Parts: sequence; structure tokens; C-alpha cells
Amino acid sequence: MPVPILPRVARGETNAIDDCLDRYGGLVWSLACRLSPSSSDAEDAVQEIFVDLWRNASRFREDMGTEATFVSTLARRRLIDRQRKLRRHPEPLSIDETGVEYAAPQASSHMELAEDGVRATTCLEKLRQNERETLELSIYHGLTQTRIADRTGVPLGTVKTLIRRALTQLRNCMQVGSRLHAEGGVQL
Amino acid sequence: MSISGMPDADRWEELQITRLLFGLTLEEQAEFDELAPKMPAEKSELFEQVVASIDVAWSDSKSMPLPDHLRKTIRSRAMEELTTQALQSVDKPTVANAAVVRSSKLPWIVAAACMVITVLTLFSPRQEEPGKAVVRNAAQQRAKLISTARDLVQVNWNDGPTPISGAEGDVVWSPLLQQGFMRFRGLTMNVPTEQQYQLWIFDKNQSDKTPIDGGVFDITSDQEVIVPIQAKLRVQDAYLFAVTIEKPGGVVVSSRERMPLLATVN
Repeated sequence: MPVPILPRVARGETNAIDDCLDRYGGLVWSLACRLSPSSSDAEDAVQEIFVDLWRNASRFREDMGTEATFVSTLARRRLIDRQRKLRRHPEPLSIDETGVEYAAPQASSHMELAEDGVRATTCLEKLRQNERETLELSIYHGLTQTRIADRTGVPLGTVKTLIRRALTQLRNCMQVGSRLHAEGGVQL
Repeated sequence: MSISGMPDADRWEELQITRLLFGLTLEEQAEFDELAPKMPAEKSELFEQVVASIDVAWSDSKSMPLPDHLRKTIRSRAMEELTTQALQSVDKPTVANAAVVRSSKLPWIVAAACMVITVLTLFSPRQEEPGKAVVRNAAQQRAKLISTARDLVQVNWNDGPTPISGAEGDVVWSPLLQQGFMRFRGLTMNVPTEQQYQLWIFDKNQSDKTPIDGGVFDITSDQEVIVPIQAKLRVQDAYLFAVTIEKPGGVVVSSRERMPLLATVN
């Protein structure tokens, strides 16, 4: 597991900033690009996220999860908050979701991922195809539930159920994996 | 403690997931706030950790590195943030901290603080250039406006009737605060003694023949430039922002002969 950088940021070590941007710049930028309506909006979001990160660096605790997960949690909170503010106007109904192509995410190799990421990838493989596809559209592509329903032709209520069921299964799977890993070093 | 047997457990999970993936409406947020104290704290972050882990697993960080210009901006802001924190901790020790500081240690602490500030000053890029400090302040003010204004209007620049190739950026404006900023990248640097840029704000409550003067400004860098909007009148309901090129000092009424950029509010 890589040595955490955020404790150094919290101590005010200036060279930790570059290390942090090297390690997490791509993660935050790719998230912002996927969950922002435009590149200028993504740039604003990334700046806000890193300011959040500098200010909250001291809150990172290694026993609560990996540093990458901490960073992506802060990033997602900020991005969803920005999405919510931008969504003051109702979504146009004319979007024809069936004609839009959404590429499936490419999972990073296990060598590159932190422990939580490896566990998530393994647990994702256990989901049913429709559950995984619904999660991809919501988490990876940032579509609203209504747009997912339009896209897949599945009723809105079913979309909600699929997302919830998938996340619950992932939560249980990852909890089990985490416990096994802690107890005996079993790698999920 | 399991929440599965608790009343409202289903709704709580639903709200948690909606909050994480889509954001809550005001009504849902009120419901969330009401339920939150009744739910076990340790359960509330599990979904968030799951989604964050998936975000890590699906991130395209290798194929999508942080752009250089953005990295420089973030680095610059980080240095300011750390410097501010260092200065605050020197200037305003908390009561608890002050109580444990022995007077004999004070000279060492002051010396260490001075060293920290010196190091930060050395690492902070180009602080000797006064123009840069202004740019950073505008960037900070803009970021603060974006994060705090609830009525924010944000629109991208598009080509006007006489476009400048490669010019881009956006406008942010808060009607409530009557504050806003223009951001430009790729807009041609001007010679202020020959010509200057001027912003015009078209308001629904004002004739389009007499848009509001938004201020005269210069583009002093080929990198990102952020300019505060200086509206000369109260802007009630802006529907269009336009940049014209005028004689030094600007004009009262523009001929609109050279209008490189427009930003239309939807």
C-alpha cells in the first residue's frame, strides 16, 4: 500500500502538494470530467476539490479506508453538490437517450489499484449484468435516474431498485472481503 | 446495530443512495436531516465508501492526466492555502495552545515559524510579480463566489460577430450579490494605449440599445486571465454578456463593430 500523502499535506509540507497532484490529479480530473456538464465546469470543480482536500487533509485516517477512497469521497461530494446546483432548471425532455453511446468503464489493473479499488472490482464482477449496467450509467456516466430509465427502457421504480440492490450487494461483499483480509490476509 | 428492523430504514437507505449519486432536492434534504440523528452513524458512510471505491476502480487516471495549466493553478492556490494556514497559526494561537507554550520555548517557535514562512515564500511561484497576486486573488474570489452564491449564472463564451480564433472561457454572475467574473483563455493580449476590451451586460429590463457597461479591461497574459465584472448599473436579469474592442478608456455607447465574444444566458 502506498505511503499516505495527506498527513504531510496536513503538516504543511509544500512538497507534498506535488506528490498529491501526481498521485490523485488524474483520479480527480477523470471524475470531474465525467460528472461535469462542460470542461470549464470540470476545471472549476477540480480546483474546489483540491482546496477541500488541503483543508480536510487532517481528517484522513488510515484505519477508515485507503487514501484514494478518501480523495474520491471528497471529490464526489463536491461534484454532486455542483450538479445539484446546476440542476435548478428541469432537464430537457427531448434527450433521446436510446441514441447516445455510453462506453463501459475500463477497470484499472489490480497492480495500479489501492486495496479498496481491488475489492470493488472483484465484487462488481459478481453483480448481474443489468445491475452493473445501471450502476455504470449512474456512477460512471453521472446520468440521473430518469435518464437511465429513458436509456434502458426500464421503469423508473425498477431503476431505483436495481441501483439499491446492486449497492447493497457491493456493500456486503466488500465488508466480507475487508473482514477476511483483516483477519487472515485473504485477497479478494 | 442493524438498521434493517428500524422504521424508516428503507427510506433512509434510499435517501442515502440518492444523495450520493444524484443529489437531494430541498424536500429530500429536509427528510434526510430529520432521519439522520435516528440512524446509527457507523452505517451511514458505508454506501459512500462503496461508491468511492468504485470511482477509484473505474477512474481513467492514467489516460486522463491533470492538464498542466490546471495543475499550475491548483498548486498556486495550495501554496496560498498553506501559507495562510501557517500565518494564522502564528498570529492566532488558540487558548489551549497558548496555555501549554512555555515562555522559554517562544524564541524557538518564532524562529521555526519564520523559517516555515520563508520556505513557503521561496516555493511560492513568482510572488514578486504584483500582477500575479491580483490574478490569484481574482481566482480565489471567483472560486468563493461559485461555491457560495445560490443564484449563480454560469455561461461559456462563444464566438461573436468578429471572433478571435481560440478564445474561450466563461462568465459567472450572481444577481443577488451583484458580483461576477469573466474568465478568458486564448484571448489576444491588447496594448492598453491603443485599444481595450469592454464588457456589456444586456438586461431584460433594459433596452438592448443601451446595455449596461460592465467595465473596461486588459488581457495581459496568454494564460488564463480572470477579470472582475464592474457593472456600472444594477443588473436585474442579464440575458447576454458581450465583449467589444474599444478605444483606450472604453466608450459610453459601443458601435459594436468589433465584438469577439458573446455569452448567452439560457
